[in-house]
Amino acid sequence: MRIVNPGFGLVPAGAEQATEGKVDWLNDPIVLFGNSKPNARELLEGVKAKLAGIRRTDNIDFIAKNSASQGAPPEMINDTAKKYRIALLALGD
Amino acid sequence: MSDSADTEILDIADLDQEAWQDYAIEQGWSDGLPLVMPTEASVARMVAAAHGDNEGFAAISPRQVVPTMASLAANAVMAGAKPAYFPTILAGLRGILDPSYNLHGSMATTHSCAPMVMINGPLRQALGVNCSSNCFGQGWRANAGIGRAIQLILLNVGGGKPGVMDRSTQGSPAKYAFCFGENEEESPWLPFHVRRGFAPEDSVVTVMSGEAPHNINDHGSTSAEGLMTTFAHTIAQPGANTVYGKGPYMVVVGPEHAATFHRDGWGVDKLRDELWLRARIPLKHISEENLATYVATGHKPTGDFLTICRGPEDIHISMAGGPGKHSAFIPSFGGTAVVSTRVKLPSAGA
Amino acid sequence: MVGVVIATETFKPLVLAQAKARKVDPHLIVVKHPVGGLNAEELVERIEAAFSGFQQEMNA
Repeated sequence: MRIVNPGFGLVPAGAEQATEGKVDWLNDPIVLFGNSKPNARELLEGVKAKLAGIRRTDNIDFIAKNSASQGAPPEMINDTAKKYRIALLALGD
Repeated sequence: MSDSADTEILDIADLDQEAWQDYAIEQGWSDGLPLVMPTEASVARMVAAAHGDNEGFAAISPRQVVPTMASLAANAVMAGAKPAYFPTILAGLRGILDPSYNLHGSMATTHSCAPMVMINGPLRQALGVNCSSNCFGQGWRANAGIGRAIQLILLNVGGGKPGVMDRSTQGSPAKYAFCFGENEEESPWLPFHVRRGFAPEDSVVTVMSGEAPHNINDHGSTSAEGLMTTFAHTIAQPGANTVYGKGPYMVVVGPEHAATFHRDGWGVDKLRDELWLRARIPLKHISEENLATYVATGHKPTGDFLTICRGPEDIHISMAGGPGKHSAFIPSFGGTAVVSTRVKLPSAGA
Repeated sequence: MVGVVIATETFKPLVLAQAKARKVDPHLIVVKHPVGGLNAEELVERIEAAFSGFQQEMNA
């Protein structure tokens, strides 16, 4: 017997593999990107404190989107991508 | 656009009813309830009911694939929907896919939100949508079929598998089906869709990512002022997602409460203004730890209270239900919007 | 730019599925669930795990 697949869908055009360049893990600027959930900032700042033992931290900054339930605004993502080479993101709860 | 790994038509072994249910559950297609088999013929009848609707759909989160009319129809068939419901289902889906609805966030969240679907206009009666007694409950094929079809689309095309992509901590009965009609015939106010700029003869589906309805019981108040006291204090609760103050909420006023408000001269604008001023959470009801997290994300107290939305425009008033002294508060997920979409009726020759 | 994601074990399937849908290969650090609701003392273990994961990414 033949049925219609209720899960069928098409992959949108333009969904291409993202690429990433080489980074200098000891010197490149890092953005700590919080999701506004409780303890996200504390977790990321805690990692930054420990990174002080192995790399420079004067170019590691924290930012956060202002709503846990919505994506970060595109301009925020674009500005961040221009300024930093590495992003450490906190997701989920 | 290219095909995903799946194929649109599946050739499967002949199955009796019981074997079909087992098969469908094994595929992950079910919400737990039995499903109608989406045969090619039944899906074709469903698709025909949307004849002339050639507008495409955006990719559905979280799986991020674009549905076909046939895959959407297959879910409507499985939900037990009649073909006549299909244009309404599609209008609801289009609202959900509006970026302001934030489908991705509402699927990935641990919150219990489900798509609230409210129908206005002449199609309510044509389809037999319940707008009166027990309108949020069981017993009406249109309410159940339309609400369930939308949920199944989000599950099967969108990939919102409970516990995997749908991360809700406890879920909600509203995730089976949450569809009702506005009781325009008994409402003292203009229909919801007309207040949003649609024509009275339009049929419109309004969606919001919301919690299941919270009851507002008030048998004793005999004035609008008295009712507002109960409404405001029921709505101003620290445990609903409205506590973040960044999204809309819906108040579905029951007809007897609506009659009292109307008799005392309270229209929709007055209700919204009064709720904006009075439905605020006293700070003494909010833990210090919680308040600190709200303030950190820019949601600061107003005096001794925390507001639960951004202004009167975030407060949506509709009227539904039957006899009795009950109304309902539907808090939203927060980062979402109330989206209304006109139903495209099939063109002639369908 | 290189993105490194910290998620709790509960959210790992969601992150991986989302990455697949968007055709990205995430640098993922998984820590125990939850992070929210922990006091400062409880959070120390999560910070240690996240830091350890980040070090592995640096050395990969």
